[in-house]
Amino acid sequence: MKAMQPPELARSPAEPARQNATQSDPMLAVANLRVGVGDGPAIVDGVDLALNSGRILCLVGESGSGKSLTALSLMRLLSPVMRLAADRFVLDGEDLAQASEKRLNAIRGNRMAMVFQEPMTALNPVMTVGDQITETLRVHQGLRQEAAREVALAMFRQVQIPAPEARLRAYPHQLSGGMRQRVMIAMALICKPAILIADEPTTALDVTIQSQILRLIDDLRAQLGTAVLFITHNLAVVAEIADEVAVMYAGRIVERASRTALFGDPMHPYTLALFAAMPRADERGRPLATIEGQVPAPGAMPKGCRFAPRCPFAAARCREDYPPLREIAPAHWVSCWHAPLEEHLS
Amino acid sequence: MSNPLLSVEQVSKTYVSGGGLFGQAKSARVVSDINFSLNRGDVFALVGESGSGKTTIGRMLLRLIEPDAGRIHFDGIDVRALDAGALRRLRRRVQIIFQDPFGSLDPRVRIGAAIAEPILLHRLRPRAQVADRVAELLTLVGLDGRHAARYPHEFSGGQRQRIAIARALAVEPELIVCDEPVSALDLSIQAQVVNLLGELRARLGVSYVFISHDMAVVRHLATHIGVLYAGRLVETGPSETVFTDPRHPYTRMLLAATPSPVPDVVRQREAIAGEPPSPFSTWSQCRFASRCAHRMELCMAGEPVLAQAAPAPRLSACLRAADLPTFAAVDDGEERMTAAYRTRLGLLRHARAAADAEACASPRQAAASDVSALSPH
Repeated sequence: MKAMQPPELARSPAEPARQNATQSDPMLAVANLRVGVGDGPAIVDGVDLALNSGRILCLVGESGSGKSLTALSLMRLLSPVMRLAADRFVLDGEDLAQASEKRLNAIRGNRMAMVFQEPMTALNPVMTVGDQITETLRVHQGLRQEAAREVALAMFRQVQIPAPEARLRAYPHQLSGGMRQRVMIAMALICKPAILIADEPTTALDVTIQSQILRLIDDLRAQLGTAVLFITHNLAVVAEIADEVAVMYAGRIVERASRTALFGDPMHPYTLALFAAMPRADERGRPLATIEGQVPAPGAMPKGCRFAPRCPFAAARCREDYPPLREIAPAHWVSCWHAPLEEHLS
Repeated sequence: MSNPLLSVEQVSKTYVSGGGLFGQAKSARVVSDINFSLNRGDVFALVGESGSGKTTIGRMLLRLIEPDAGRIHFDGIDVRALDAGALRRLRRRVQIIFQDPFGSLDPRVRIGAAIAEPILLHRLRPRAQVADRVAELLTLVGLDGRHAARYPHEFSGGQRQRIAIARALAVEPELIVCDEPVSALDLSIQAQVVNLLGELRARLGVSYVFISHDMAVVRHLATHIGVLYAGRLVETGPSETVFTDPRHPYTRMLLAATPSPVPDVVRQREAIAGEPPSPFSTWSQCRFASRCAHRMELCMAGEPVLAQAAPAPRLSACLRAADLPTFAAVDDGEERMTAAYRTRLGLLRHARAAADAEACASPRQAAASDVSALSPH
């Protein structure tokens, strides 16, 4: 990684006690990740992530929160105008902070793979899906065409594509949206990657297909021991699939906890506001809670807590100092001066 | 059920594709034999997967797509018989809002002019009063009346959807067809638009045909539901009864597949398998049979029609509607939440109310409100 310390990025506050709360050896560990355009302000600012084998970490946030940019940073697929820095970037013991583009090419699609929201744009429309998936095997594992085809066929069966032999010869447009997403997942998992990054993989799909794809990802990570980063804006999907959850707002993680803790004991006012905005059966017809205002633009981040301008609990301190992530309950990290709310407000 | 505002009877639409010089024409029956009606003030939600025909039906109601067969009556008017002039007058009373607030506004037209256009076209106000009316409409949908001179790109997605709603309201319609109006919006913005639609219904008495695949939003807004599968209504009825006691296996599958925001919620785990069939298929059996866990031999013998299923207004196109097992409805109510969750949601509501009250009392000092001024009790 190129040494980069533009003034704006270098200023990100030193957060005390940066540590991985659960396991000692995560498959992928990234600390203080910062991404910005050229010398401009950081859009992703000081994100820490640890992905563990066989576990699903959900990254939730609304548009503009920086979640997709975080995913692309982890894959090192940022456009050349973007600048990336991190204090730590370790994949399975290998420091990738200084890795060459050649080394990264050997890792992408092999040790780390990604599934995108819209498979139609991610797949090559003029190649059969079989040729696309076997190409991965030939490049990364040096398999011959016939052997690669056998492996691809087995993978198609594993992601439950019906009539897999015929589907290998199909072009992307001949498949339904759900089938295309299965092909994408098969392609991502074909080299048995340590890390799978799924960026809104079910957002474009119908609920019945979404449900099948979620179950598939859940089964595969158990069978293959893949560490999954699952990006979504849908809290109900998070409740279905996550082991751990990180809530992102305006380029920073504001709350991180296990799924049970996040849904049972939500602490950050932004997390609470998102929960309150969800339609619930027992509040049918009543007005939903909304969040006033808008996500701040990258160039106009508030000085203190980034949620303060929209937060009904905001006090003078919130507008001055950014609250670091603090461990309020065991393995439950919150970036709010008032957490837990009931203690600070009574 | 005296004089429904909208009644749809036996409406169908078929598209023919191919059939050039060499090919054989294939016909795709995208919508078959649709029947439903809507009373003034009702919200009729059309739900179903992509390709089920929701959008086609919505557009046929305004004749943006011409139906091939069937009858559509709006307030007693035979919609299919109207000439161009009469159709324009109908579209003053029936409006449509689309999913994509980026695609439905002309980027080169100031939003004030976009909202004024239908007012001028239908001569609803003297020219001199149009600007005032535009400002009034913008205020009605929660935007600043002074923003009429701005262009669409100066607004966020949620604001653009409000502009689209303001433009639909400009002609004081009695019915608005909402085609996935909140699907493209973030959760917090979605809540604002859902609230706005509910408020407009309460204040102006507008009715909606609400097209959506989001079951949580549908449950929140709809009074009645029609579930579409492969171009056919398979179940209709009052909203809450459909959610708590679905009488068609497809409705059950849709509900079981909808993720719940309460983790580990006990839910009916109907088998969720398969994909919707191709519209080119022809049918001599129940269209859902291949995916159905309750299938029996009789289901393959002929296509069941929408018929009365158990309590009065409920209709289902399932032969087994009456003997389906009891359905465990998704319960994401407040009593399912942990004490900590409830407490903090309460604090949030309280703080929000206090902040709102303060903003009303002294708008200038609202920004300086201190948390110490807020006490939960």
